[in-house]
Amino acid sequence: MKLLVFIPAYNEEKSIKKVVDNLVLKCPQYDYVIINDGSTDRTEQICEENGFACISLPINLGLDGVFQTGNKYAYLHGYDLAIPFDGDGQHNAEYIPLLVDKMNEGYDIVVGSRFLNEKKPNNLRMMGSRIISFFFKLTTGVKFTDPTAGMRLVNRKIMRQIAQNQNCGAEPDTWAYFVKNGARLAEVQVKMNERAAGTSYFTLGRSFFFMLRMCISIVFIQFFRKGGK
Amino acid sequence: MSTELRIVLIVVSILVLIYVLRKIRQSKLNIIDSIFWIVVAVILILLSVFPQIAFFLSAVLGIQTPLNFIFLLIIAILILKVFLMTIKISQLQEKTKVLAQKIAYDEFEKKIEDTKEEDQ
Repeated sequence: MKLLVFIPAYNEEKSIKKVVDNLVLKCPQYDYVIINDGSTDRTEQICEENGFACISLPINLGLDGVFQTGNKYAYLHGYDLAIPFDGDGQHNAEYIPLLVDKMNEGYDIVVGSRFLNEKKPNNLRMMGSRIISFFFKLTTGVKFTDPTAGMRLVNRKIMRQIAQNQNCGAEPDTWAYFVKNGARLAEVQVKMNERAAGTSYFTLGRSFFFMLRMCISIVFIQFFRKGGK
Repeated sequence: MSTELRIVLIVVSILVLIYVLRKIRQSKLNIIDSIFWIVVAVILILLSVFPQIAFFLSAVLGIQTPLNFIFLLIIAILILKVFLMTIKISQLQEKTKVLAQKIAYDEFEKKIEDTKEEDQ
């Protein structure tokens, strides 16, 4: 099984070296590639200086564009599995083999969930997560405890769809779409770190529109989408 | 608000919804860009089905008839959309420029390397 770990990095000069060193130390058996999303800081130079494998996008594509870039690269280079791994140190490399084990039980998508066995905290941010979980369950019948989690291992079938289809971004509605079209989704309990450096993309306003978009997309639009091949 | 206008609004809104969903099916539209049109269509349907909302809001804003309120609302939404699209076009222009420069730069570098190899 060939697995590609791709590391989306947008202005992660403070953390990228630590993240890659840690990943290589803990999971030397997997290939990795950094996808530099048009960073304006020293991310690219740091990758070059340290000899890290790095694809540098000339412009900033955003989360969805980077996610597609990683999956496309994995698909074109014949990888069997692909997983994104945060460039800001939120993800722990030791969980990747656990996700792979789960995958081998016959799933198409395995997500590292923060809340599979642990309780979701009761704050505003998690309320959004709960609402998405609820609609996900309502429309697909599948329980998805952490729909906004970043560690999602996919197999070649899903990889191809993400690489080639429009509207397969790195967001919960994409997983709802796949599951509705017969993909099998499983979760594995993982622990995530607080971000080491940098700021979260999600401000309150953005979170609100994100929630609105996800709800409309999962509840309404998904009914009318064409099934994938 | 006349019944005729309400019916027209509802029919047009539903047509917009169908059109937007078809474009998503044909992979000609990103979901993220479709949300605006879906929300607008739903708002217009709500206003037509429950004209009380328009009556209430026009009274609050001191607008003479609910119909004027609907016009004002649609104009406001469209101005907002045009502004957001202007921002988007600016960003796209900037990105195309960077892409073109990157391609030109890479080709130029390649040409220099090729001539170097030929010289040797």
